[in-house]
Amino acid sequence: MNDAREAFYLPLLFLTVVLLGGMRIFDRIVLLPPSLFSLVLGLLLLGVLVRCGALGPELLMNSGRPAIANLNGFVVLLTMFLAGAQAFSLATPDTGLPNLLFSVFFLVLLLNTLAASPDRVRVLRSLMVIFGSAFILKFIVLAALSDPEGGRLRRVLLALLEGVTLGTLTQPLAHPAAGYVAFFTLIMFLTGLALLPKRVTSSQLSVLSSDQLTTTNSQLRTEN
Amino acid sequence: MVQSLYIRALGLAVSVGYAVLIAWLYVHQPQSVSEVTGGLAANIGAYQIDQQAFDEGLRLFRSGQFSAARAAFDRADAAHRDATTQFYIAYSWYREGWGRIYNDDQMFTLGLAAANRAIALSPHGILRVEDADLGMRTADELRAELEAGLRRDVSDLNPMRVFRQRK
Repeated sequence: MNDAREAFYLPLLFLTVVLLGGMRIFDRIVLLPPSLFSLVLGLLLLGVLVRCGALGPELLMNSGRPAIANLNGFVVLLTMFLAGAQAFSLATPDTGLPNLLFSVFFLVLLLNTLAASPDRVRVLRSLMVIFGSAFILKFIVLAALSDPEGGRLRRVLLALLEGVTLGTLTQPLAHPAAGYVAFFTLIMFLTGLALLPKRVTSSQLSVLSSDQLTTTNSQLRTEN
Repeated sequence: MVQSLYIRALGLAVSVGYAVLIAWLYVHQPQSVSEVTGGLAANIGAYQIDQQAFDEGLRLFRSGQFSAARAAFDRADAAHRDATTQFYIAYSWYREGWGRIYNDDQMFTLGLAAANRAIALSPHGILRVEDADLGMRTADELRAELEAGLRRDVSDLNPMRVFRQRK
C-alpha cells in the first residue's frame, strides 16, 4: 500500500469519523464517546472485514516491516476500529425502543455477514446498505416522526405507533444540520473502508505466481 | 527509502496530534471556535482576557447593571477560561437573582454553573478575589450561597428571611 495512504489519508479520515461520529447537534453541540455496545459492534466489524478479505491486517503489521511502518499500520487498525464504533453509534437512535431495535439489527447483520463470509466487494456493498438504511430510518423517518411541527398524517402515525411502542418511539429533536453531518461522516467512513489494504488470498497468490511465471518465460523467449 | 521513512514519521506525528486534539475536544466539549482557540491557548499558558472589556464589565457590575456587565465579561473571556471573570459572572447572577422573599432559581442555576467553572479553572480549586465591594471573596463561599439559595427546606418558611442581606 502507498505510504501516504497508510500514514496520512486513512488515519486522518478515520479520526475525522471518530470526531464527527460522536457529534450530536441539539441547541448546543455535544460530543459523545462510543457506547460499550458500539465498541463491540466495531470489533465485530473489524472481524468481518478481516474474514471477508476487505482488510489484510498482515499487510499493515508484520515482523518483516520496519517499526515505523508497523506503528502506522497499528494506527490505521486502531482508528478504523474506533471509527467503526462511532459510525454505529451515529447510525443508532439515541433513546427508546428504536435504540434497542437498531442495536439488535446491527448485531444480527454483522454476525450473519461473519457467518456467510462474502467476498470484499459484497461485504462493502452490504455495509453500504446497512448504514444507508439505518441513516434513512434515523435521520429521515424517525426525525420526521419526532418533529413537533409535523402535519396531521404525522400525528395520526405517531398516535398509532406511540401506543404500540409505549411512548418510546420519539427521539430528542436534533438540529437540521445533524443529518447532513451524519451523511458525510458515513460516506467518509465507507470511503475509508474501501481504501483499506485488501487481503491477498492463497488462490490469488497462485494465480499471481503463474502469471509471473508466464511473463518470465515470454521474456526469456524474447531474449533468446 | 529515506523519503518513505519521513512520510511515515510525519504521518504518525500528525495522526497522534490530531487524536490528542479530538480527545481534548471530547473532554472539554467547547461550544464555539473562540472556546476551542482559547482552551488550546490556555493549555500552553498563552491565554489572555480582554482587559478593557473586563474593566468595563467590572464598572457595570459595581453600578448594578448586571446583564450589561455579563455581556462585557463574556466579551473579555470569550473562551470561558479565566477563573476571575467567571467568578464575577457567577456573582452577577447571584446579585441579580437574589430576592428578599424568594430567589430566581434560573439565575442561581446559571450562577452556580459559572461558579463551578471558576473553581475548576483555579489552581488547586481555590479562588480568592480581593474586592472590597464583594460580601463573598472566595468562589467556595459563592458556590455555597448559590447552592443554599437553590435548596428547598423548612428554613424557606422562616419569616425572618426578609431581614437577610444580599452579600
